[in-house]
Amino acid sequence: MIRRFFDARFFAPLFSAGRRIGASGIFALTMAMLWSPDVQGQRATDLRLNEFMAINKTNYEDDFGERSSWIEIFNSSYGTVDIGGCYLSDDVNNLKKYPIPKGDVLTSIKPRQHVVFWADNKPTHGTFHLNFRIDDTRFLALVASDGHTIIDSVSYPEQTPDVSYGRTEDGAGAWRFCELTTPSTNNALVLLEAASDRFKTYDPTGVAMMITAMTVVFLALISLFLIFKYVGKTALWVIALRGRKIPRENPAQVTVSGEKQQPSPGAVFAAIAYALRRYEMEVSELESNILTINKISKTYSPWNSKIYTLRETPVKK
Amino acid sequence: METTTNSLFGFLGENLQQFLSYTAFSHMTVGHIIMMMVGLGFLYLAIRHEFEPMLLIPIGFGILIGNIPFMPGLRIGIYEEGSVLNILYFGVVQGLYPPLIFLGIGAMTDFSALISNPKLMLIGAAAQVGIFGAYIAALLLGFMPNEAAAIGIIGGADGPTAIFLSSRLAPHLMGAVAISAYSYMALVPVLQPPVMKLLTSRKERLIRMRPPRAVSHLEKVMFPIIGLLLTCLVVPSGLPLLGMLFFGNLLKESGVTRRLAETARGPLIDIVTILIGLTVGASTQATTFLTGDSIRIFVLGAASFVVATFGGVLFVKIFNLFLKEGNKINPLIGNAGVSAVPDSARVSQVVGLQYDKTNHLLMHAMGPNVAGVIGSAVAAGILLGFLS
Repeated sequence: MIRRFFDARFFAPLFSAGRRIGASGIFALTMAMLWSPDVQGQRATDLRLNEFMAINKTNYEDDFGERSSWIEIFNSSYGTVDIGGCYLSDDVNNLKKYPIPKGDVLTSIKPRQHVVFWADNKPTHGTFHLNFRIDDTRFLALVASDGHTIIDSVSYPEQTPDVSYGRTEDGAGAWRFCELTTPSTNNALVLLEAASDRFKTYDPTGVAMMITAMTVVFLALISLFLIFKYVGKTALWVIALRGRKIPRENPAQVTVSGEKQQPSPGAVFAAIAYALRRYEMEVSELESNILTINKISKTYSPWNSKIYTLRETPVKK
Repeated sequence: METTTNSLFGFLGENLQQFLSYTAFSHMTVGHIIMMMVGLGFLYLAIRHEFEPMLLIPIGFGILIGNIPFMPGLRIGIYEEGSVLNILYFGVVQGLYPPLIFLGIGAMTDFSALISNPKLMLIGAAAQVGIFGAYIAALLLGFMPNEAAAIGIIGGADGPTAIFLSSRLAPHLMGAVAISAYSYMALVPVLQPPVMKLLTSRKERLIRMRPPRAVSHLEKVMFPIIGLLLTCLVVPSGLPLLGMLFFGNLLKESGVTRRLAETARGPLIDIVTILIGLTVGASTQATTFLTGDSIRIFVLGAASFVVATFGGVLFVKIFNLFLKEGNKINPLIGNAGVSAVPDSARVSQVVGLQYDKTNHLLMHAMGPNVAGVIGSAVAAGILLGFLS
């Protein structure tokens, strides 16, 4: 995709006509991005099968008060992903088994959030009720909207009633039988403490923060200092080198007598500048007798045309 | 007939009463009047004394707009969902405006002074002590660490950075933090000179620094690229600010994107400044703004500026102990480490001229001044990384 994105076909108009990005360039860029299916569909690839329960005897109930198998899907990204248009399947030979309906607002999964599908073979119960059961299957797949790209899949062993099978961490880690069933919530239950509370507990005076942060600030700027110290030295060296080369490379810099012309010291430039300034000051009260004509080009637009803003002259009929 | 007249007068009376209940007068409180006085004070300082007029006029007028009381529910207040002001305020709450302002700052900043004398960068780092001094003080006053960080960043003397960080860490304090940051930025010419004079001897104030060398185009182009890579690899949480700052600078220095650079440092930054100033000002409704916390934030803000100035000037004095004669730095540019560009550099120039009419420190002071912008953005990134 990257190669195609940088394809000269798309970018050629951008850099033609003296590096000006014209309307055609912007159009080409937009079209290049829109045509790329990877750009359109890349967010769905962040979805993960996260946990499922194949045999639900006494566990969670759906909105209809029924117990059936469920599958949890996790959005591992930090952006909202719409799962609508993707497919769920338990058959490797039929990856389009359940097309997840498009247009349901509930299929948008917020960043780092979960959604649960009920594998009860009752699709009439709603978007989240599949048209198959997973009691006696050994395979599950989440398939992209193209119908053949498998976003995530799992082959699993025989399942135990009321025990879910899930990843050790949300969206990552190995699959195992879960000690706790956690539909619609994190697989690894971690007691999250706010960073602010942690600092309040361990660094109540803020001294540790000050030392750490000031060290980092200094480190960042010291590294910049060191780099530009040597960049500066190199630049001066290059300039000096060029200065020495000029007389050899450019015969115009050598005087008629054959002596090498020394680079003009700052004082000479100052003297020239002062002389010019004096000259300008002295002649400032005189007419320069110079007429400057600047051509001002004005792009025509009916919005700035006086003709269009004038009222029509009334005509007696 | 009499009944009709009575009912007509009654109807008119009711209408009049209803109209009066809709006017600002019937909802006016002492708090609103105080805030209006503050807004008028800002306008006075900006117009009469030209203290940061670009900031204080939008903020001052915004305070007036935000403190005209009204009947709630008309969708006109800045905190009422769907109102025009609320939509404009979205850019502040979501931290949209500050990176755009940084883009403009990058496009208008000339880092030549810094590149020609890179050791001045360290002053920009030292002055960030004001941020963490205020952080510690805020913790001691009972603020939570996230709130203390939002308050401490006032010491960075960078309005957009203060708004960006407080919108992330303590949105409920954002109005007070922003007003405090911008107010003290405007008051830099008042706050800094006493500290600078207190910490320096006459001999130190007369130090003449070597004129900065000419900086090549290549160095100028390399600076934003290397600057971005170095700072953001260390502190990725500073990306929104530092990324835009260096990007803007590359637009300027590359020499081939003049139109983009002009837009960034011209119309774009002007538009965003208007929006940010007006909405931050309007967010200071007396009912939500006039609290004990706001007063404490103002006190801490002033203290952080003073500590930052202390840090910068003292660092130069200590640094001078290790520098050879002729390479010494005038400590009067230490104050410029706070990133109030270019006000604090201008203060260095003005104070320097008071002691030597021919010792122009402005160009030297611009080095730590722009380093301060980088330093405060890095500091904000660290606080965000630790506390969000």
